[in-house]
Amino acid sequence: MKTIRRSLSIIYVAAIVAIMAAFPAWLPAQTAAVKSSDASSGSAMQWSVQVDRVNPGDLEVAYSFQVAIYENLLKELNKTKQFKQVFRDGDRNASDVPNLLVLQTTVEKYTPGSETRRAVTTVSGATKLTVRSQLLTREGKIVLERRVNGNVRLFGSNLRATHNLARNIAKAIKQSRWDVG
Amino acid sequence: MNSYFVRQALIRVWALLFCSSLGALAQSTAPPVKASAPFSIRATHLLGLENTKSNCNGTLSIQGDALQFQQGEKPGAEVKATSIQAVFLGGESKQVGGLPMKLGKAAAPYGGGRVVSLFAHKKYDTLTLVYVDSDGGVHGAIFQLSKGQGELVTNLLKARGVSPSSGEYQTTKQSTVEVMDENN
Repeated sequence: MKTIRRSLSIIYVAAIVAIMAAFPAWLPAQTAAVKSSDASSGSAMQWSVQVDRVNPGDLEVAYSFQVAIYENLLKELNKTKQFKQVFRDGDRNASDVPNLLVLQTTVEKYTPGSETRRAVTTVSGATKLTVRSQLLTREGKIVLERRVNGNVRLFGSNLRATHNLARNIAKAIKQSRWDVG
Repeated sequence: MNSYFVRQALIRVWALLFCSSLGALAQSTAPPVKASAPFSIRATHLLGLENTKSNCNGTLSIQGDALQFQQGEKPGAEVKATSIQAVFLGGESKQVGGLPMKLGKAAAPYGGGRVVSLFAHKKYDTLTLVYVDSDGGVHGAIFQLSKGQGELVTNLLKARGVSPSSGEYQTTKQSTVEVMDENN
């Protein structure tokens, strides 16, 4: 009986390891379908960007999520080094900058999710965020528009979805070519 | 007979006065909320504050007209109450135990880890601040507090000048525990 139990435990652990090896995309706790063009923007460095506060649209998005997306976006855009300067919403210094783009983020889909449900069921309780990101000129001309996802499907807190989302937005901007002229 | 009624009336009046004075005493013994008294609690800084690590534990305090977060002996980050535009209170349920617990749950046979997950969670308050810097740039900061302490902090901030005149003051209870729309 003991031997059977032991072998069952070994099989169970081996199955977990095999599943983790088979689906490595689950491990970083996020999947994002980022549509991006293959070209890289070479002239982005001469542009600065101002990040607007997140627009929740018609959805009831938790305020902590809105703030977390905004703060993570600032951090991730700074990390990419794609822009000369990254300004916060309302920053007076941005008005003096000649080449300024404005990043607007509107939430299109939001599922709060539950860390406990993820831990108990594995297949449900995912935190999902879908936003529409737009880069605009001062005159309001859209130079780049992308729909970006940020999810937490297995491990991590709900707020981690905002980090994944911001990273995907920064990645989408970095990998895209935009035409300002 | 007459004196009996007078005595009865006196006893009733005395009893009434005694009860009301007890009530008044009970009210006066309630802890007074002093807006200027220093206040500090343990909190986790989730993100947002300048020069402060994300997901770090520390002490959240309100001294004078400023909210401070100090991590150990390091100098703390400070936000003036007058620069706070909005305060939001939310709630969240999180799994406890960290990585060792996660590994233990994954290794437990016969789905035992899932049963443990059912009980190994704790509810927290999340305090979200929106404030502006000297250049007018909007900042956000999120703190995780023990259940019930978030309301205390928001009340103290309100008492220290986070008023409708200096910005939007909003307190909302939001729960992220339940998932209603799963298949989007």
